[in-house]
Amino acid sequence: MTDPGRPDRAHFEALFQQAPCGYLVTDDDGRITAVNDTFMRWSGYGRPRLVGSTLQSLMPVGDQILYSTHCIPQLGINGAVSEIAVEIIDADGGRRAALLSASRSPGSEGEPATVRVIIFSAHERRMYERELVSALRAAEEAEARRAEAEKELQHLALHDALTGLPNRAGLKAKLDAAPDQATAGGDRLAVLFIDLDHFKAVNDSLGHAAGDELLVSVAERLARAAPDPAAVARLAGDEFVVVATSAGAREATALAAELLEVIKTPVRIEGLEIVTSASIGVAVSGDEREGLEDLIRRADIAMYRAKELGRSRWELHEPAASDPTVDRLRALGELRRGINEGALRVHYQPRVDLRTGRTIGVEALVRWQHPTRGLLPPSEFITMAEESGLVRPLGAWVLGETLRQADTWRREGRRGAGLEFAVNLSARQLSDPDLVAMVEGALRLRNIEPSHLLLEITETALMADPNGALVSLTALKKLGVGLAVDDFGTGYSSLTYLKKFPIDELKIDRSFINGLGSDSGDSAIVGSCIDLAHAVGIRAVAEGVETSGQVQTLKAMGCDLAQGYHFARPLPAPDLREWLDVHADGDPVSA
Amino acid sequence: MVETVTSAVSPVIKRNNVTVSGRADGPVMMFAHGYGCDQDMWRRLLPYFADNYRLVLFDNVGAGRSDVNAYDRDKYGSLDGYAADLLEICDALDLEDVILVAHSVSAMVAVIAAAREPERFSRLVLVAPSPRYINDSADGYVGGFSQEDIEGLLASLDSNYFAWAEALAPMAMGHPEAPELSEELRSSFCRTNPSIARHFARVTFLSDSRPVLDRVGTDSLILQCSDDLLAPPEVGSYVHQHLERSTLVHLQATGHCPHVSAPEDTARAILEYLSASP
Repeated sequence: MTDPGRPDRAHFEALFQQAPCGYLVTDDDGRITAVNDTFMRWSGYGRPRLVGSTLQSLMPVGDQILYSTHCIPQLGINGAVSEIAVEIIDADGGRRAALLSASRSPGSEGEPATVRVIIFSAHERRMYERELVSALRAAEEAEARRAEAEKELQHLALHDALTGLPNRAGLKAKLDAAPDQATAGGDRLAVLFIDLDHFKAVNDSLGHAAGDELLVSVAERLARAAPDPAAVARLAGDEFVVVATSAGAREATALAAELLEVIKTPVRIEGLEIVTSASIGVAVSGDEREGLEDLIRRADIAMYRAKELGRSRWELHEPAASDPTVDRLRALGELRRGINEGALRVHYQPRVDLRTGRTIGVEALVRWQHPTRGLLPPSEFITMAEESGLVRPLGAWVLGETLRQADTWRREGRRGAGLEFAVNLSARQLSDPDLVAMVEGALRLRNIEPSHLLLEITETALMADPNGALVSLTALKKLGVGLAVDDFGTGYSSLTYLKKFPIDELKIDRSFINGLGSDSGDSAIVGSCIDLAHAVGIRAVAEGVETSGQVQTLKAMGCDLAQGYHFARPLPAPDLREWLDVHADGDPVSA
Repeated sequence: MVETVTSAVSPVIKRNNVTVSGRADGPVMMFAHGYGCDQDMWRRLLPYFADNYRLVLFDNVGAGRSDVNAYDRDKYGSLDGYAADLLEICDALDLEDVILVAHSVSAMVAVIAAAREPERFSRLVLVAPSPRYINDSADGYVGGFSQEDIEGLLASLDSNYFAWAEALAPMAMGHPEAPELSEELRSSFCRTNPSIARHFARVTFLSDSRPVLDRVGTDSLILQCSDDLLAPPEVGSYVHQHLERSTLVHLQATGHCPHVSAPEDTARAILEYLSASP
């Protein structure tokens, strides 16, 4: 009796054998124990070939690996896999795309586990999926290329191309990526600002290629010698920065000493053994939070002190805010940047012949366009520049700029042509052995008659080293430039020397002019100065003249030239030209 | 029972989905899963050790519930990257005298880790290890595969992109903190990001860790299966010859995953080895 709702065994048998897809039964290792007719027809294999061998053995090796590493363990743990894409190698050796699903029965006492597998042909679906995946891969590759290009670009932006070290932006990015890492363990952040000594000399004597090679060598040595974790960066030119964690100043300066030694190691460049040295400024973060930029700035200041104190050494920046040298050194750093970045200006103050009332010349006076403090007069920074040696590049710049302006006016052929240009020289410049060559070069560059240039040297500067000054002044005089003693009356001039110096002019200090008419003592001094000048055959000049009364007195005393607010304050070049136009040939002095 | 170590301890813990179970004060047994799976693969073996050992499991980055975002193609472009992770886990949990049980490709990761920090590990148990899968005609080394075979595997992985992706899907719905959903988790066994699986396959099957073997002096057990497609008997012998202080044991279990197919036999071999030497 057959229940129509319950198919008999023959039905099941037929369902198994003639199912629309391949059916197989395997053990846990994939060994085939039963297979249906459909699979045999599809694969072309006979039953004896299939039973006893493993299902994997019908697959290419790649699928075998996948089946062993993925499907078998998944069947073991999960009991099922579904729609795994495999290829079955048929009896003719062809590959047939198939989807494989399987489920596992754990088996019971004495009965081994069995895995029931269905395999159905998946040619079209496989093709379709392949297309999708290859499109995906192409997209991934394009994305990877884009990401690679972006990475490369970012690398370029954050690194110095010569040495491969991070640049300033790269250093910041690197430290931003790991913020507070240093301070977490109670450690502080130490910044070492390293500037090679006399690097320019290497560039000048051996060429830029050799200079570059030296920089690369230093970069490599620093990177090797810097402790882990530390960041080494090249900020510009021959400036490097090492940022390291440090227990304190002692550790940081010990590192600086170590790096000084490392930098001193001789290196062979273009067959020459080069020994370089550096000056290192050290700044260590204090108890309060301090940005990297501030630390670098403080280290920079300390580096300058190391340079000043003789180079090839380190200096620690003490963060004490009350320390006046801190302010000075900070300002010094700013001034140095100012010189390099074109923040200096030259203003011109007319010098008037008291007898004719004509403007016969101008005094060039430097101004510093300070980023936060505005336009500063020389009194705010010249002493500092003088003490630091910065006055040399500063002075050279002022002279060059003044002569450039003189040249311009001469070309324009207007008022201003034919003026005498007075430029200040500092004590440092006076002792600079290159001074005469510098002045000569500057004149030649603009093709300016030496007689149109007047160099002013303060009495104090002359008396600091009278013998040296005499040598310099004599050489300058030989060039044909005029020479003036500035701020006369404030120093302790020896008349003997005054007579020896080949000078053309005495400039009476403004403090005496100020007292003219009100202070009889001052009037006496001014009078004697004028007499003294005339006695040795040179011009007397009054500076700081502010009133018409002073002008009258000076005229009465026989003073030759005068300058001061009474006539005009120091003016930018265009304003001066305007002023000259207004006061052309008039009698502006008698007011 | 399985405690997920709080990720506050170290980012490493979250990255590698490190789980700790077993006897808290027992000697440490660490389990490193092989290619194509995740830490669930050890599930059948763990009961044999849970009473006496502290069990540390993890997923390789890219597998299981690891942080897929941490997958860095450069770092994981060689087995060294995985070894570094393994050592970082040891360091993060402050593990010492670790018995490291590693399967398949992770057996070589274990060897690299032991070469790098020998003092960290007391024993290595290498399940179906192979230092190189591709035959080397230069010195006659038998790895079992040709270069073309491996290319075939990569093609096969591409073909199964959707199967892999499907296995990955449940990951998004995984709720490790809700045990009632464990059935769901079960079905997500062996989940892997398809692109990572492909890259990892390349790294795994093109690797050659033979030079590292000679640098390892840690006591080790090699479990060689019968009929293992991925690690033929020649490979087991090779590893045994080149690993100083190694013991080679042939298992009856067939295939590449004896800890799945024959957990009892596998556990017995390991326990015998551990009790044989102090």
